[in-house]
Amino acid sequence: MIEVKNIKKNYGRKQVLKGVSFTANKGEITCLIGVNGVGKTTIMNAIMGLTPINSGEILIEGKQLDKTSYEKITFIPDAITMLPQMKISDAMAFMNDYYQCWNQKRANDMLKFFRLEKESRISELSKGNRAKVNLLLGLALDVDYVLMDEPFSGIDIFSREQIAEVFTSHLIENRGVIITTHEIHDIEHLIDKAVLLDDGVIIKEFNAEEVRENEGKSIVDVMREVFRV
Amino acid sequence: MKNYVKLFNFEMGRFLKGYLALVGFTVIVQVLGAVITSRSYTNKINEHVYHEGMAIDEFLSQFGDMSMYAIIHSLWIQGPILFCISVLLIYTLLIWYRDWFGKNTFIYRLLMLPTERMNIFFAKLTTIMVMVLSLVALQIMLLPVLNKLMGSLVPEAYFMNLSFKEMISGFNVLTILFPFSFSNFMIHYGLGLLAVSLIFTAILFERSFRLKGIVYGILYIALSLLILFSPVIMIAITETSYLYPLELFYFELILCVLVFVMSILTSRFLLNKKITV
Amino acid sequence: MELKFNNRDPVYRQVIQYFKIQIAKGTLEPGEEIPSRRELANKLKINPNTAQRAYKEMEEEGLIFTEGNLPSRVTKDKQVLRAVREELIMEATETFIQTMHAINVSLDEVVQRVTDNYQSHLEEGEKDDRS
Repeated sequence: MIEVKNIKKNYGRKQVLKGVSFTANKGEITCLIGVNGVGKTTIMNAIMGLTPINSGEILIEGKQLDKTSYEKITFIPDAITMLPQMKISDAMAFMNDYYQCWNQKRANDMLKFFRLEKESRISELSKGNRAKVNLLLGLALDVDYVLMDEPFSGIDIFSREQIAEVFTSHLIENRGVIITTHEIHDIEHLIDKAVLLDDGVIIKEFNAEEVRENEGKSIVDVMREVFRV
Repeated sequence: MKNYVKLFNFEMGRFLKGYLALVGFTVIVQVLGAVITSRSYTNKINEHVYHEGMAIDEFLSQFGDMSMYAIIHSLWIQGPILFCISVLLIYTLLIWYRDWFGKNTFIYRLLMLPTERMNIFFAKLTTIMVMVLSLVALQIMLLPVLNKLMGSLVPEAYFMNLSFKEMISGFNVLTILFPFSFSNFMIHYGLGLLAVSLIFTAILFERSFRLKGIVYGILYIALSLLILFSPVIMIAITETSYLYPLELFYFELILCVLVFVMSILTSRFLLNKKITV
Repeated sequence: MELKFNNRDPVYRQVIQYFKIQIAKGTLEPGEEIPSRRELANKLKINPNTAQRAYKEMEEEGLIFTEGNLPSRVTKDKQVLRAVREELIMEATETFIQTMHAINVSLDEVVQRVTDNYQSHLEEGEKDDRS
């Protein structure tokens, strides 16, 4: 379980996270939903130890993050984290060099699934393909938790479909997934838990199926209520 | 340790092309300088001695002989050296900032590696030092080669062969780069290492606290310099020295080590706790 | 497998409903193998946990059964199969009657309308099949 406990974060005088708490379970897809600029990415960065928080605590399986955590949890930011001059094969070799949990077979399977060419240079890939490589590099790690920042933003519909397919496949089965989005439409039926974020606070955290069953509401219905739009 | 070596290799590889360009530029300009200077001198010999029949002694007293002195203080030699120094200085900053540049932010990858983050710091630090030292080594090897080259282009009677020591004597950038004694060498490059480390710490302050971080970085460097110069300042203020020169030297040495360790620990703290992507 | 989900009903319920229709129609035959949970999730683009939940409910209802490590199959129990068909018909009839009742349509008219429209619907269906 990933536990985010009352974290606060300031950028200068502006408080972007005003005491955020939520949990994400293993084997579930948790979705952080909120319009752009409400601090979703900051939360991801904070969980991964990529930006300091002013107060609060983040626990991964009951432990604070350290260097060994990166073999257990990984983050796929919204832009590829490899050098543009690298070939896909270079990027894969880089991962293989540093991560014990790198799964070369799965990486090759995903290459095939995404129909990517190993020898292409990252700088020469289309936006959609770059997003796929980015996803591949994260998901080929045998980690328990995967964080993804806006995996669907700014890419073409076919790439989106392929990426959505990843969410229903063995690639994320039994893992804990946290994903952020400002556009729930693509993944409405894919997620277990929705965490609604606005202006640096969590305004609602709920199980999507439960809300449909007990209240007959869609995720968007709930959003409409709580965001009061 | 294994990860440090991998990261160091990786950092070297990232600047290898730029670095080889620097090496190429240095060699070409310096060789060209040697050739052009020798040629114009032999042209002069041709004109005066062979065409006008001037005596060799008279020619030498009028125009002087030819040696490495003719180019070593000129832009032909010093230009590329100064150019290399400035490129490496800029790269000392760039080696960090390039990881934050663009939409492909490599810093995410680096910080998420399952290894001590200080390995990144040490990999970058040694990359800079190795690049500096190998350029120095290149220059040390190149100077005698240039000497030979000029000797082959200028008639023997007009050429003065210089030893390496003779070439770099006199006060200029070369005497800093190539100290004569081993201990001086260690001092010069030890101070260089310290300087690069301090710059890195300042960069990490900036990357951690952004605008405010620039102020912190400058203050940090100022504090370090204050510590380094404290004995000298004390002497200046009290106008008396309580230490013999050798004692002062060792004291400074201890202070240097202290400031270096401080810089490492501060960088470690910033990288682990304060850095932001 | 094409299934358009609505956003307000639980996805697992919609999956069960989909299976019931296939069984009633005969597209899924008694004893026929059904996709694994993961395959289903992948085909319908739903969360694997939801597919799991749907299968669990269907198993409890006796719609499907699993023997050991083999893939799950549609039940062969005639009674259950009949009940599925019965349930679907009853549900649809109930909704239909409620709508008709709400706008005060008499039973005679309802029967008349159903007879007329059912016939023309069938003919249209045949035409579609031929073309």
